[in-house]
Amino acid sequence: MNLKATIGMETHVELDTKSKMFCSCEVVETDEPNISVCPTCLGLPGALPVPNKTAIEYIVMLSLGANCNITNEGMFHRKNYFYPDLPKNYQISQFDFPVGVNGFLEIVLDEELHSVEIERVHMEEDTGKSVHIGSGRIDSATSTLLDFNRSGIPLVEVVTKPVISTSKMAVAYIEELRQLVIDLGISKGKLEKGNLRFDANISVANEDSNELGTKVEIKNMNSLKSLEKAIDYEIMRQSKQIEKGESVIQETRHWDENKQVTISMRTKEGSADYRYFSDPDLPNMIIDEEFINNSKKNIQNLPLDKRKTLKESGLSLSDSNYLDKGDKWLYDLYLSTVENTKDSKSTFNFLTGELQGQMRKAEIDELPDWVDSEKISNLINLFETNEVSFTSAKDILAKLLGEDIDPKSYATDNNLIQSSDDEEIKTLVTSVINENQDIVERLEDPEDKLVGFLVGQVMKSSVNKVNPGSVKDILLKELFG
Amino acid sequence: MSENFNIDDISNLASIELSEDEKAKLQKDLQIILEHVDALKNIDVKDQKIDIHPLSKVLELRKDESKESLKHEDAMMNSPETKDGHFVVPPSIE
Repeated sequence: MNLKATIGMETHVELDTKSKMFCSCEVVETDEPNISVCPTCLGLPGALPVPNKTAIEYIVMLSLGANCNITNEGMFHRKNYFYPDLPKNYQISQFDFPVGVNGFLEIVLDEELHSVEIERVHMEEDTGKSVHIGSGRIDSATSTLLDFNRSGIPLVEVVTKPVISTSKMAVAYIEELRQLVIDLGISKGKLEKGNLRFDANISVANEDSNELGTKVEIKNMNSLKSLEKAIDYEIMRQSKQIEKGESVIQETRHWDENKQVTISMRTKEGSADYRYFSDPDLPNMIIDEEFINNSKKNIQNLPLDKRKTLKESGLSLSDSNYLDKGDKWLYDLYLSTVENTKDSKSTFNFLTGELQGQMRKAEIDELPDWVDSEKISNLINLFETNEVSFTSAKDILAKLLGEDIDPKSYATDNNLIQSSDDEEIKTLVTSVINENQDIVERLEDPEDKLVGFLVGQVMKSSVNKVNPGSVKDILLKELFG
Repeated sequence: MSENFNIDDISNLASIELSEDEKAKLQKDLQIILEHVDALKNIDVKDQKIDIHPLSKVLELRKDESKESLKHEDAMMNSPETKDGHFVVPPSIE
């Protein structure tokens, strides 16, 4: 039986505002509990919510960045459920008039572009945090501790249509969304801090079927790696069940990072369980053209635009996708460097391979002030024109990261410039041939691996000061004519 | 839609246990309400503006400025039990 998986993603983005969504409590990052709380975010009776204008601007920016239509007349609903981290017993959210609808995000997988359709982008508020204490096992907790510093922080939920088919595609989608919110400047986008939290709705059905299989929601994936593993595991679990002729139960499952499996949590609620109704405390929210245009002014250089610029510089789609998701300084450095080198691939490889590799090794997060695109492009040009070997270029880079040097002067002063003087190379080649007659006699053709050995001997005798390409050419000419 | 209406689903959603007699009575009462709603569906509203909220007032938005919150002691004062700055409630595991 050929089966296909269908995945829809629900992602919560924590907005980077100064104050909370419906009250003026400061958004704080602290371990000290319940220090930024007020009657509104504690859900005390009679407290009234007043929405944060910046949060609404941010959700409009995100909706526009995700190519959505904006709902001009929207509203807030109460989503009712009982849990101690939500003391009002309802979460202010949106139901049938979300801010953004029917959008898409373009994602890159290998060398292909895919479009992931976005169903809705809506505004809501975060809950408090609970800590269960007791004998260690969560199900034998003796009490629950509550901290409401997080309660009421603005959250945007972005929901895709069920159009994702693999775990890799889901990861690429989250990476694109994460970069979008960072480039928009509306969220820190740090997964490890919970700024982006995602659930996956997964169903498996017969490949020929037009209908989707039973939907299972997977929660508790807090890294891209666990997202990928949880989706792969769940597709396998459901497929096995279907192949055995058993039916899949509609439920919420929890990804267990230690056991690397999904575990049943509870049967899944339908929207009726939440008894949505319009929040009488919050009248209609008008998002008119003026508000939209003002929000648009803050949108520039999104991942899609950066990818276009990078592709125009000559990079492949996947290399462009890698750089548009990277640090801004690396993107800027690439663009200014490639202007001088005119070699996109070589510049990309040197920056993402050598430069980033050496920075990681030296545990440097930011480039030293003196390292600019001029020095980096001079260095790339030095080894691209064979003036220095690649090994020497790596050494020069290591030096450059530690102190302010001029790559060319350093190479000259330290005798790293390679000779391309044919006569000099010919002398070295002749001497190596004479010293290695036994090997020369065993050579069968120019492709023989022993040719490489002889090139190495010439390089060694020159102390790497000659260009290996020229050495090979001259050596082959001497040996095979 | 009203013909598929199931009193067991409603009692389950409302977390209210109903006897068979109560179910029969409520089934009838709620059926009448649904018929009223069905009657509303026949009204031609295609030229009407959608009125999505009972109030005609427009939402006022607030500048993103933080103000002083409650003092920690004041926030906790009505809690029957606290621990290390947290509110303590009976164990609640989903």
